[in-house]
Amino acid sequence: MATKTNKNSNEQSRPRDLLSPQQMREMLTQLYLARYFDVRLIKEKKRGRLRGTLYSSHNQEAILVGSLFGLKGTDWISPIHRDMPAFFLKDMNAGWRNPDRIGMTIEEVCAQVWGKAGSPGRARDNWSHIGSKSKRIIHSTSMLAGTIPAAAGVVYADRLDGGDAVVLTYNGEGSTAQGIFHEAINFAAVHKLPVITIIENNQWAYGTPTHLEYSLEDFARRADGYGIPGLIADGQDVLDVYDKVMMAVEHARAGNGPSIVECKTFRAYGHGDHDDDRAAKYRPKDEVEEGRSRDPIAVMKQQLVALGHMTKEEAGQHLAENKGAGEVTDIDFPEEVVAYLNEGVQFAIKSPLPEAEEGGMWVFKEVE
Amino acid sequence: MASLIDGVSSTKKNYLTAIKEAIAEEMARNPHMIAMGEDIGILGGAFGVTDGLQARFGPERVIDMPISEGAIVGTACGMALNGKTVMVEMQFIDFISCGFDQIVNMTATYHYRTAGEVNIPMVIRGPAGGYGGGALYHSQMNEAWFANSPGLKIVCPSTPSDAKGLMISALRDPNPVLFYEIKELYRKREIEEELNAGDDAIVPLGKARIAREGTDVTLVTYGQNVWHCLEAADNLAKEGYSAEVIDIRTLVPLDEETIIASLQKTNRLVVVNEAPMTCGFAGEILARMTTKAFRYLDAPPARVTRLDTPVPWVKPLELHVLPSVEKITETALQTIRF
Ligand SMILES: Cc1ncc(C[n+]2csc(CCOP(=O)(O)OP(=O)(O)O)c2C)c(N)n1
Ligand SMILES: [Mg+2]
Repeated sequence: MATKTNKNSNEQSRPRDLLSPQQMREMLTQLYLARYFDVRLIKEKKRGRLRGTLYSSHNQEAILVGSLFGLKGTDWISPIHRDMPAFFLKDMNAGWRNPDRIGMTIEEVCAQVWGKAGSPGRARDNWSHIGSKSKRIIHSTSMLAGTIPAAAGVVYADRLDGGDAVVLTYNGEGSTAQGIFHEAINFAAVHKLPVITIIENNQWAYGTPTHLEYSLEDFARRADGYGIPGLIADGQDVLDVYDKVMMAVEHARAGNGPSIVECKTFRAYGHGDHDDDRAAKYRPKDEVEEGRSRDPIAVMKQQLVALGHMTKEEAGQHLAENKGAGEVTDIDFPEEVVAYLNEGVQFAIKSPLPEAEEGGMWVFKEVE
Repeated sequence: MASLIDGVSSTKKNYLTAIKEAIAEEMARNPHMIAMGEDIGILGGAFGVTDGLQARFGPERVIDMPISEGAIVGTACGMALNGKTVMVEMQFIDFISCGFDQIVNMTATYHYRTAGEVNIPMVIRGPAGGYGGGALYHSQMNEAWFANSPGLKIVCPSTPSDAKGLMISALRDPNPVLFYEIKELYRKREIEEELNAGDDAIVPLGKARIAREGTDVTLVTYGQNVWHCLEAADNLAKEGYSAEVIDIRTLVPLDEETIIASLQKTNRLVVVNEAPMTCGFAGEILARMTTKAFRYLDAPPARVTRLDTPVPWVKPLELHVLPSVEKITETALQTIRF
């Protein structure tokens, strides 16, 4: 079928080949969105407006955007502490402000961060510890790897009901040492459940480097032990993440079961904002410089220019890349990105605190 | 006759059959109910509680799980999040510790931390209790761990009809319920009973049962110790005292009213549980009654519990550390004669 593709026939087709130029540019915008969310919260926190710990996703945004971009709204996700943008990036392609979008609104996410009643969980637990059944986001807890079994259970139930949902679980490489990580993936593999385990391998688990967490060169090889595919993605390259995750998604939707997708990246700052100063000491300077040398926004711009989907002048606008949170300003971001965040922040500020009595409520559901 | 399988029968049935009937009836009634555990399908469960269940409802609804209590509870939690009611079997309740995090942090908190958005209909049940020579890891009563974890209901029946009726209630409850089955009672002939079918069998959670009426002392207990207390009451009767025995049936929620009403009559309280003394549920009942029924009490309330030790294997050692009819009788006499 000569007309099927105009590519070199030797080249394997990749999921990205079906993306339009607009979709690829939207990916870049979503990278800005994730980055700006992080930057904005760092600034708000420094101003003393927020409580709790901020686990920055700076430099790791391509993993979130690339993995979520090809999902259906009806798919499930299970984010963790470093994945705050995932809550609103889910089903973003249905329209940022579309009320029927199956992802959280920026208002809900900001209200949660501000600890306000407008949060979906009414601010009962902090920061990333939210979720939504209707938005198909598994409610995260503090317990590392602790929600992977629930993810497996959710899609088991979905499959029984005739659904075709997959679930993406996000995990730091450090959390993979937990017994429950193994226990859950083993179960998913046995039942060929559509569970895609994304490893955000940012080389550090708090103050511990990877070689003290596991003894593999490529963590993805752990998949061999479960009899499932293990893929490696360049975590700085949103298109590569998209390709690998979509391959895993297609594999899962075809009934072939789980995959592990290891996305190699680097943690830009301290573990949390409380750890920034110490991290500057326990991590070698050259390692940090190297790890941050391929900003996902810059990497995507280069690709868009190379593909002819963006002019050099356009790429020269909004220079958020390669800048720390202290250096960027709003003009380094597209206006619609700043406007979107502003809506969330304004809502959060105006939202009231939950009533004190709520602390004693909802331990049990009343029996009807 | 199909009705025999469904429990409409004039013959007496044991405690294990009662639980088995409740589970099968609920699975037939609720197409969204799933059962999962180790060896529950092909084998029918280590004790046979789920015998025949997989043949009837299929391997997708009756799941033979890998040996991982964490994965069992955690995946059950996800299924419940997505619309299912799940019955989870612990092969022995002792092994529940391996799924502890998934129970107390994931499952128990779900309704609370989502401000009521999500509730988890799940029953975690399994064989529990000592007096059978099961040694350290097949004899535990570890319900106190969970009584100290808000969000879990806790049930422990002592009779076949309660086992069936409470199991139905547990499986229809919108919250996670821990269900302690007394394995020494599973096939005990002397306690067999006729069982009702379907809704007629229901026993609500949170309602205690007066197992024997009396006027001189109230013995409050649950599980296997109910039978010990009834024997102790016989002993006390020989000494001329009338003991009331209350089987609380559910620890959470606790029917305090029934206990208080009894204390208004007897003015004396002894609480008995198989678990170790320190921070055991007997202590909780004592604390609540000391606060809420202080003016009715004519003697310091007392408790009979396991010593603060593990449960040892060989018989003399095991009986030494567990509550016994003798210890209960003696403690009751001291309380009456205070
Ligand atoms: C069960 C458990 N143990 C310890 C912690 C404390 N803790 C939170 S994050 C973290 C490091 C996680 O590292 P990694 O999984 O690599 O994720 P990253 O933070 O690098 O994204 C630790 C030790 C926890 N939250 N849960
Ligand atoms: Mg890490």
